[in-house]
Amino acid sequence: MDRTLIRNFSIIAHIDHGKSTLADRILEVTGAVDKRQMRAQLLDSMDLERERGITIKASAVTVWHTYQGRKYQLNLIDTPGHVDFNYEVQKSLQACEGALLLVDCSQGVEAQTVANAYLAIECNLEILPVLNKIDLPHARPDEIVEEIENAVGVDATDALKVSGKTGAGVAELLDRIVERIPAPKGSPDAPLRALIFDAVYDEFRGIIVYLRVFEGSISERQVAHMLGTDRVYEAIELGCFTPTMKRTGGLTAGEVGYFISNIKTLGDVRIGDTITLHKGPKVEMLPGYRPPVHMVYADFYPTNNGDFEHLREGLETLSLSDSSFSYEPVTSEALGFGFRCGFLGLLHMEIVQERLEREHDLDMVQTAPTVTYRVKMAAGEEKEIHSPGQLPQPDKYEEVLEPYARITVMVPSEYIGPMMQICADHRAQFVRQDHLSATRVQLVYDIPLAEIIYDFYDKLKSSTRGYGTLNYEITGYKQGELVKLRILVNGAEVDALTTIVHKDQAEYRGRQIIKKLRKEIPRHLFEIALQAAIDSRVIARETISALRKDVLAKCYGGDVSRKRKLLEKQKEGKRRMRQVGNVDIPQKAFLSVLGGGEEDG
Amino acid sequence: MPASTARGLVCAVVSAALEHGVPEAGWTGDPGAGSAERARAVEAALASAQPSLYVHVPFCVTKCHYCDFYSLPAQGEPISATVDALLVEAEQRATPRPPTVFLGGGTPSLLSVTELARLLDRLDDLTGFRASAVEVTVECNPESLDEEKAACLLEHGATRVSIGFQSLHERTLELFGRAHTVDDSFRAYAAARAAGARNVNVDFIYAHPELTSEQWTRDLARIATLEPEHVSAYNLTFEEDTPFRRWLEQGRLQRSSEDVELEQFWTTRARLAASGLHAYEISNFARSGRECVHNERYWRNADYVGIGPSAVSHVAGLRRGNARSRAKWSADVEQRGCAAEWEERLAPRARLGETWWLGLRTRRGVEPARARALAGFDSGEDPCERAALDLARDGFLEAREGRYALSARGLPLADALARRFLA
Repeated sequence: MDRTLIRNFSIIAHIDHGKSTLADRILEVTGAVDKRQMRAQLLDSMDLERERGITIKASAVTVWHTYQGRKYQLNLIDTPGHVDFNYEVQKSLQACEGALLLVDCSQGVEAQTVANAYLAIECNLEILPVLNKIDLPHARPDEIVEEIENAVGVDATDALKVSGKTGAGVAELLDRIVERIPAPKGSPDAPLRALIFDAVYDEFRGIIVYLRVFEGSISERQVAHMLGTDRVYEAIELGCFTPTMKRTGGLTAGEVGYFISNIKTLGDVRIGDTITLHKGPKVEMLPGYRPPVHMVYADFYPTNNGDFEHLREGLETLSLSDSSFSYEPVTSEALGFGFRCGFLGLLHMEIVQERLEREHDLDMVQTAPTVTYRVKMAAGEEKEIHSPGQLPQPDKYEEVLEPYARITVMVPSEYIGPMMQICADHRAQFVRQDHLSATRVQLVYDIPLAEIIYDFYDKLKSSTRGYGTLNYEITGYKQGELVKLRILVNGAEVDALTTIVHKDQAEYRGRQIIKKLRKEIPRHLFEIALQAAIDSRVIARETISALRKDVLAKCYGGDVSRKRKLLEKQKEGKRRMRQVGNVDIPQKAFLSVLGGGEEDG
Repeated sequence: MPASTARGLVCAVVSAALEHGVPEAGWTGDPGAGSAERARAVEAALASAQPSLYVHVPFCVTKCHYCDFYSLPAQGEPISATVDALLVEAEQRATPRPPTVFLGGGTPSLLSVTELARLLDRLDDLTGFRASAVEVTVECNPESLDEEKAACLLEHGATRVSIGFQSLHERTLELFGRAHTVDDSFRAYAAARAAGARNVNVDFIYAHPELTSEQWTRDLARIATLEPEHVSAYNLTFEEDTPFRRWLEQGRLQRSSEDVELEQFWTTRARLAASGLHAYEISNFARSGRECVHNERYWRNADYVGIGPSAVSHVAGLRRGNARSRAKWSADVEQRGCAAEWEERLAPRARLGETWWLGLRTRRGVEPARARALAGFDSGEDPCERAALDLARDGFLEAREGRYALSARGLPLADALARRFLA
């Protein structure tokens, strides 16, 4: 393939700004898929993606477009749309020479779009601003052009106006892609260097690796060497996506396609890794490779203790198609046997949880998510902890470091006040404020990651009526005045409810938790003391008074069996509760606390 | 105990109940008092291995709105044929020499004197209860009890009359769906006395939405002036499949608060004790020696044979229940020769638990060795005695002379404690 006839590009867009619909139109206009076969949003293959409108796994497709009498190969590389998959986004972008910056003409620029646009600029991509949904009555293209220029700093005066819905402007867009996005540069004669930008598990074919060849070429039967993992695989099948997989027998510099070998699990392949030929000349790895970093941890416990093995099987199966979460068995006195899982971020956690519940029919209790802390021990060494229970006694360590993120929040200007208040309430430090247009503002803050995963995002959404958008990137670790907040029922610690919090928030959080518990724990024969404590110091207390009356008035010969069955049923209900010390705690109580959020009560 | 000391104790209980809500002692009075001869007969009846006899007469004038016992409106029902069927079933199943007999319902007093006489006479032919039973109770409602009927009952073997007053307020009787007035109740009571009834029970319901604690306290004083031998006073229960339950769910009726229920629970015990009617079960009160022996046998998990639709029998560890339908029951009796629709036989451990929580409803309480023997439990440590020791340590039970009974603290929590004794 003449590489001057190849264009590799991605689409950068916010959720709901119409990326998938535009991709569908492109497939249709280029004849890759005819209208009859057209399934809305073809690129999003997982049910969950379709339902949430989020692209979780990157995908790629090759289409053909004739421009000035020559037939061009356009490779559209789809990118995941969420901050949790930042690294995957980056790798997808790295596989391209250009990117369409797709902005909804009525919504305007969102935080995530800007973040991804910057990623694209870092990768030296040519950025083509595209205004979508131009057919909507309240489209405001001129203002959006201004926002793009102010937020991203690219010239948007000749931004194309399209409608993914009607198809208007899509043909012109394809011409523009050929004109403006550079052809790939690498030489087909150089030693092979190809980037793995995605990998998926297929039930029938095993692992399918998504490749962008930068230099050299590879054909079937050759042996590939993955430099990062130092593994060697024979190329059993090579091809491209049209959008269905089409075997081509080989891939050369500039091309995008797939690679199939006998790779068993996704864990054997690392996104961002470089492929070269086994026993070929030594090459440098492509930049930016790193293993997945887990920023958020949470414990999953089966609702029924007997489902532990079922949960393990679910996690094993799921890890075949998502290698970016980790899991290891843990035991909680309150919740029994479960798994501690590590995730790329909060959304990633929710997706894994939902897939477990949906695809494996599991009922689970999930502990409050926690970030990875670093503890500097008194003895000098530093260790990472993934759960509050792992934090040592205060006299054993010097300090605790917590991960910080730089957040960018974009809000309509009338919400600046409430937004700044939320930031102040969450230990965020102001960095700067930019006016993108007369009506929209970008706020930049540095904030502990723990605050974001607690309830920051929910608050942002509710206080801006859903208009505010958030993007964050992890910037590093800082020392924090953190304490371990323990919850005690009649003096016994409920380990599943232990959290690490900033000392200034400990009392408030502790009070909230025990208030919720008070509502959900039934009265017992004795009074129950609920306490929130930092180390051994009690900072909040609630009392559940003792049960006073529980007796049926009548019990004669004809009532005995019925009454016994009633008592047995009540006892069975108690048996399903979790026992901590001498107190029975219903599942609902854990859910109400771990569900997070704030309520008065 | 000298009378003055007894009175002092009672007064202490009353004042404690009124000041703090919970008295120091859970139970008052002296079980098994009365004449020595009566006491020996009662003890023999309680311990008897012969089953008691229960006969269910499934008719009422109208169905009360709170009641979930099986009964039919009498109008147009084949009453005489039903008595025939009861007697056929009695022929099939009644055992000889029952230590106690209870005619319940429904409303047995609804039967004519002829039917009542026929029923009692034939039952005596079949079982010889007049010679064997220490107590023969007939449940009556005020609208169907006059002196003639009371005399008939006594003449044909009844020794105890139970009258359903339920309330001393007309409005409440209306709310309950009762078929009589307050005056009817007093007239029926007087008629029973006039006919010579020496052992009379009156039934009441408290803690219903229209009853304030002040009213109930006054009612209790009025009840005491009747000088009944026995009072049953029940906290209103919203039973399933009753109009009351439906009204509760629809918000047309309110449950009394826990405070009000507890206040009336303790006031009942204190006031009736002050009149010599001592609680010997959660909801039952009697003068010494006038405790209902038939019911005490239920709470001891003793044997009984139940005749009639919905009636339950418990014989040698086997519990069986008849169909809750007059038509099905009479067809079963006549065609199959057996009306039992369900049965259960509990394992020794389950029987042991049941014996405990039933017994703990009473002042007599539970004697661990007797409970084990009755349940046939002999495998290792007794888990119920263990539970009882723990609960006694926590103050919910009291141990006296080798028996365990609920303490004042444990009394209103009887069901919560009962769960500790289940397998």
